[in-house]
Amino acid sequence: MSSRSVPSPTELPIAVAGLLAALAGAVPIGSAGAQLKPEPLAVTTLPARGSPHWVWVNDIVFHHMADGKAFLLDGDSGTMLGMLSTGFGYTGLQVSPDGSVIASPETYFSRGTRGTRTDVVTLYDPRTLAPTGEIPIPPKRAGHIPMRANSGITDDGRFLLIYNFTPAQSVSVVDLKSRTFVGEIDIPGCALVYPTGPRRFFSICGDGTAFAVRLDDTGKPASRGRTARLFDPVKDPVTEKAVRDGATWLFVSFSGDVVPVETAGDVTKAGARWSLTTPAERQQNWKPGGIQHLAIHPKRRRLYSLMHQGGPDTHKDPGSEIWVHDLAAGGRRVQRIPLTKPLTSISVTSDAKPLLFGIFIGAPELQVFDAVSGSLLRTVSEVGFTPSTLVTR
Amino acid sequence: MARYDDMVEGFTRRLAKTVSRRSVLRALGGFLVGAAAVPVLPVKRGHAAGGAPDDETSCDYWRYCAMDGFICACCGGTARACPPGTEAAPITWVGTCRNASDGRDYIVSYNDCCGKSSCGRCLCNRNEGDRPLYLPANANDYNWCVGSKSGAPYHCTISRIMGVATK
Repeated sequence: MSSRSVPSPTELPIAVAGLLAALAGAVPIGSAGAQLKPEPLAVTTLPARGSPHWVWVNDIVFHHMADGKAFLLDGDSGTMLGMLSTGFGYTGLQVSPDGSVIASPETYFSRGTRGTRTDVVTLYDPRTLAPTGEIPIPPKRAGHIPMRANSGITDDGRFLLIYNFTPAQSVSVVDLKSRTFVGEIDIPGCALVYPTGPRRFFSICGDGTAFAVRLDDTGKPASRGRTARLFDPVKDPVTEKAVRDGATWLFVSFSGDVVPVETAGDVTKAGARWSLTTPAERQQNWKPGGIQHLAIHPKRRRLYSLMHQGGPDTHKDPGSEIWVHDLAAGGRRVQRIPLTKPLTSISVTSDAKPLLFGIFIGAPELQVFDAVSGSLLRTVSEVGFTPSTLVTR
Repeated sequence: MARYDDMVEGFTRRLAKTVSRRSVLRALGGFLVGAAAVPVLPVKRGHAAGGAPDDETSCDYWRYCAMDGFICACCGGTARACPPGTEAAPITWVGTCRNASDGRDYIVSYNDCCGKSSCGRCLCNRNEGDRPLYLPANANDYNWCVGSKSGAPYHCTISRIMGVATK
């Protein structure tokens, strides 16, 4: 972070400069002191292009939900770079594909925890982390335990999609180019958003289908409809915490089956299922679980899964191991990374020397692993209060 | 996994002294409890485990088999009444819990109490029967205060018996 800049001394507020001058006059100063220039008031900024090893940690701050936060940290040095203050019931930020915009769906109340509710998409400058604009949206943004599919950006960076729950279900569409709210798309019986292209996304539905939407160039729905059934929501539901592999979203069922949901043109359908576990491991009750229990490195064809041993309904339990599967080899498991501390969310950077980040909502600490060897490189303490989800690029 | 266990135990002591370790483990993934506007009564959702079946401030209390949030009995309310100055969210969801004392299954409505910041005491999350957000009637991860006049601010959760479950 050597490229961080500081303001010039000419930016010193006059009042502070006056105070310093008065102090200097009251105290005898030797020759060495006379040469010492007072340090300017300064605010750091970040480089125009961040490191691929930076990570955002979203925190809903469950015990003080009016005070959501997002922390930016450098995985190489373990230093905190900055923070966003993001309002009530925070579910996480989105970064545009080119990294030029941070878009953060946020909720505020005029009296902190009461009064008039206002929902906005706040836009932040990635260099200053200061808000540069607000886009008002309907006060319907879904409140739930944070998960990445609460919102999403279309592949061209044009439209931000936000899941609403009142409990009526819909998606708000925001044009990030014109900085305007475009409209709402009803998704009855369905939830969350999974972008699949420059003008496409789907939501996942309670009957085991998906609701696929194609947008026109103004952000209005050009086509929409339900897919065929993708999974059985009664026998073995999939978690909402899928990861994206190109045109495919990889969902995982409670029991540990991987359910690829593939989009080609106007067709979204289920691909061939495979399992994270062997029959013997299923007998031993190995299961996926957590808040963000999947991570992916598409180029290396590696899928990372938080795994634990537990009975039914343990789909949110923290992982005791991270399992690594080779997507290029039919999902063959290639690595098991034992954890010394539990984790509920993981994410992997997409560069050639990737880092694997992990957090546990019960402890304010970021763990940083070498994503190839699985070795723990460092831990960063005092990161938030209930660290919820991770954003890497 | 000694350090793993130490971590979980430490978290237990720090955050939720009245909550069992198993319950805290499950508290980590979810939070709020509510209900469907048109609930389909999910009989056989799960059963309270041992521990302290008669202690309303314990996560192991039998009614809390599908609880997810802060226990109102620890926050100035009771198992079935919201604390002073809060608003009971009318939109809710239901679970079915077995009362070990009579061996019967009861339909339990979980209502969030709203309008103030989080109570912060007795965090309890038992995910028996919990389902993902695309199945709202069974999803305890939602903030069901959205159905209250207060709006989203969530304080704690109560459980009310609605009847005996019939198979």
